[in-house]
Order: sequence, then C-alpha cells, then structure tokens
Amino acid sequence: MSELVRRNVPLIITFLVGMVMVLEYYTVSPEIMAVAEQINTWRVILYACVYLGTINLLRLHGRRVMRRTEGQWYFSAWTILIIVAYAVLGLYYGVESTNYRWMMDNVNVPLGSTMYASLAFYMAAGAYRVLRARNLGVALLLASAFLVIMGNTPLFPAMFPWFAAVRNWIFDTFVVGSYRAIRIGVGLGGVALGIRTLFGLETGYLGRRRGE
Amino acid sequence: MEFIRSGRILPFVALILFGVLMWVYRDQAKKGKVPWIKRIPAFNAMEEAVGRATEMGKSVVMVPGRGSLTDLFVAQTVAGLTVLNYVARLCARNSVKLWVPMANALVIPVARENVHDAYAAEDKLDEFDPVETLPFVSGSQFAWAAGVIGYYAREKPAANIMVGPFWAESMMLAESAARIGAVQIGGTARLYQIPFFAAVCDYVIIGEEMFAANAYLTRDTEVIVSLATTDVFRLAGWAIIVIGAILSTVGIKVITELLGV
Repeated sequence: MSELVRRNVPLIITFLVGMVMVLEYYTVSPEIMAVAEQINTWRVILYACVYLGTINLLRLHGRRVMRRTEGQWYFSAWTILIIVAYAVLGLYYGVESTNYRWMMDNVNVPLGSTMYASLAFYMAAGAYRVLRARNLGVALLLASAFLVIMGNTPLFPAMFPWFAAVRNWIFDTFVVGSYRAIRIGVGLGGVALGIRTLFGLETGYLGRRRGE
Repeated sequence: MEFIRSGRILPFVALILFGVLMWVYRDQAKKGKVPWIKRIPAFNAMEEAVGRATEMGKSVVMVPGRGSLTDLFVAQTVAGLTVLNYVARLCARNSVKLWVPMANALVIPVARENVHDAYAAEDKLDEFDPVETLPFVSGSQFAWAAGVIGYYAREKPAANIMVGPFWAESMMLAESAARIGAVQIGGTARLYQIPFFAAVCDYVIIGEEMFAANAYLTRDTEVIVSLATTDVFRLAGWAIIVIGAILSTVGIKVITELLGV
C-alpha cells in the first residue's frame, strides 16, 4: 500500500463519516438521517475487532509456550486452555446456558469483586502517602480530608451534626466549583479535538504528523 | 421549512464561529503571529522519564487508557494515542523497551499502526515487535488491571505514563507503580480519577490539558491555532456564566432563555 493511500484514506473516511454525523445532529434532513442510520448499522462490523484481541492473546501466549519462556510459559498455557474452554462452552451451550453462566458467576465475578475490594487498600496506601502535612497546602488538604471522612461516617455526624454540614459545604463549594471548571474545559477541549480530527488537522493518533 | 433542529441553532452558530475564528488565527499564524502555549511540566517530563529508563536499562509502560474509539471517551483515547506516538518515538530513539497493555480490541489496530510509524520514523523497525509491545491483556476491567500490576511487579519499569480515560483501576495502577519507584506521569479528563493521579503521580495532566498534547509535543502551528480558538471560546463561556449569573440574580432571564436553560 502506497504511503499516500495509508496517509490519506483514513483521513478522508474520518472527514466524510464525521460530517454526516455532525449534520445529522444539527439538521432534520431525512436523507442525512438515513445515511447516518446506515453508518451506525455498519459500526457493528467494528465489533468483529474483538477477534483481534483473541488472536493477539493466542499469538502472545502461544509464542511463550512454544519457546518455553522461563517463569511464564505454564501461565500462558493455562490462559490458552481457559480461552479455549470458554469459547467451546460458549459456542456449544450458548452464553446464556447454565454451564456457561456457572463458570462466569463462580470464576469471573468473584475474581472481579476481589480486585475491586482491594481498591480500598490501594486508596488507603495512596492517602497515607499524600496526606502528610509537609507544607500549608498539604496541611489544608489533610484537614479537608479529615472533615470529609468524618462527615461520611455514620457515627460522627450522629454525635456532632456539624460534621455533616461541613462535609456538605466542602462538597458544594470547593469540589463542585472545581469539578465544573474542569468539566467545562474538558467539554470545550473535546469539541476542539473533534473538529481538528474531522478536518484532518489532528493526526497524532494515527502516528504521523502533518507534513511528514 | 425547518432545516436546523430546534434548540440546536445556537450550538450550530457557535460551531460555524469556531471554524471562522480558527481560520482567522490560522491567517495570523501565517503572518508570524503564532499563539503562545503555556508550559505543561508533565509533557516535558516524558523525555526525562524515558531518559531515566535508558540509563537504568529498564522498560517504559505507556497506558492509553481503557476507552474505545466508539464511546463517549473517544477524545481522551485519541489524546492518549497521540502521547503514545511521542513516547514510542522516544523509546525507539533510545532503544528502550516499550510496553503498551491494550484493554480494548478496537484500539489495537490504531495503536499498533501508531507505534509502527513511530519506530519507522526513527528507523528502528527491526526493534518493533507488535505482539510483545502491544499485548491485549484483557477486555475485563480488573483482569486487565491485574495483568498490568503483574507486569509492574515482574519487570519493574522505570517509567509509567498513563494518559487516556481511566476508571476505578487508576489508583491500583498508580499506587502499584509508585511502590516500585517508577517515575509516573498521569493524565485523564475523567473527573473522579484526577485526584488519584494528583495524589500518587509525579506529574499530572489535568483535564483538558491532555487535548493539548499534540500541539505541545509537535509545536504544529495548525494545532496550536485550534487550541487558541478553544481558549477564546472558553473565555466567552466564562463571560456568559458570569453575566448570566448576574442577570439572573436581578431577574433578567435573557441569557437563560437564549441558552434554553
């Protein structure tokens, strides 16, 4: 494939599809709406890319098994076995079958829940790392964190109602104010990035720079 | 006959104004008046982080988030891929091992092409192994996080750069990488994850700063011009908020009616 085609075809497709979707949002033209609906239907094709992930996984772990990569190949063999087992069960019984659901509910769900539960410890460790009163800024952060944590517990607001009031005041003024500022900035930045991408000015995500 | 949807006339006019303003800035840039970009330390630190990995003989991890190219967070994924290209280029230049754990199969082809081009630009294609460099770890949130944390523990990378959309796994990754002493640069526009990165990472890219990645890293005039246009719109937004708040307080509802609030 020539460099010209590799460089320009994705940009042309992005522009055409993007323009149709933008016009569909702003106008009431039935023709444009029909084209946009068709494009949305085609988007389903992209989900076939899920197979790319599976192929990538099989290639990576298959290579490790073949090469007997020290300390890793038996984990890779196990991964391949599990992928094949899930695929066979899913295709044979269907993903809504009792057997498949049993595997999901008894393997995937508890593992996911365990990882999510461990987040509390990561957060505690992170908070311990950052909340040390080294200077005035961190001391203020520490004081705010203390008040918010106390305000969130059931015991302290029950004993001292002002904890809940202070917690709400911190959230309603400082937190909401700063979040809204970031949200507005992100919204405008996202729109600008979208326009740049639409007109082919933003090509960094494609791995090439303008004029190269 | 109605052509523009009701309630969307003002955004449509704003979109056209955006284009016109960008054209004006572009014209000025051609005459030598290129807008100034503020210094963002996190972007400067990327070269330093890869340099550290080079000296230590360790790898660099670049995580472009868990977003897709078809969801609400596509802008953040695109920004992450832009940073990926820059980091990949630095790694190729210094012959440092790069590891990019993929969580979304849709992003894999784009990311692979992106890194391929970075290695090609540095004439180091022989060092690029797409399967090992950009492995699909898992599509499941915590399985993916566990895979990345495992890599941190085994390989102990010298630098961990995370730019893109992140969810609950952000703290797990940042804290795990902090424990092994990796230099960390975190950036996301996901509001609830920004404090996590701010707490643990050495450098943080906050919110919209990530969308300036391409302009900052490439210094491309066209991209800088579009950033300047965004800034004008932001100022206009602030002005509307302040004026609208004052007018609403005194009982004049012109702005709120115009915006359909």
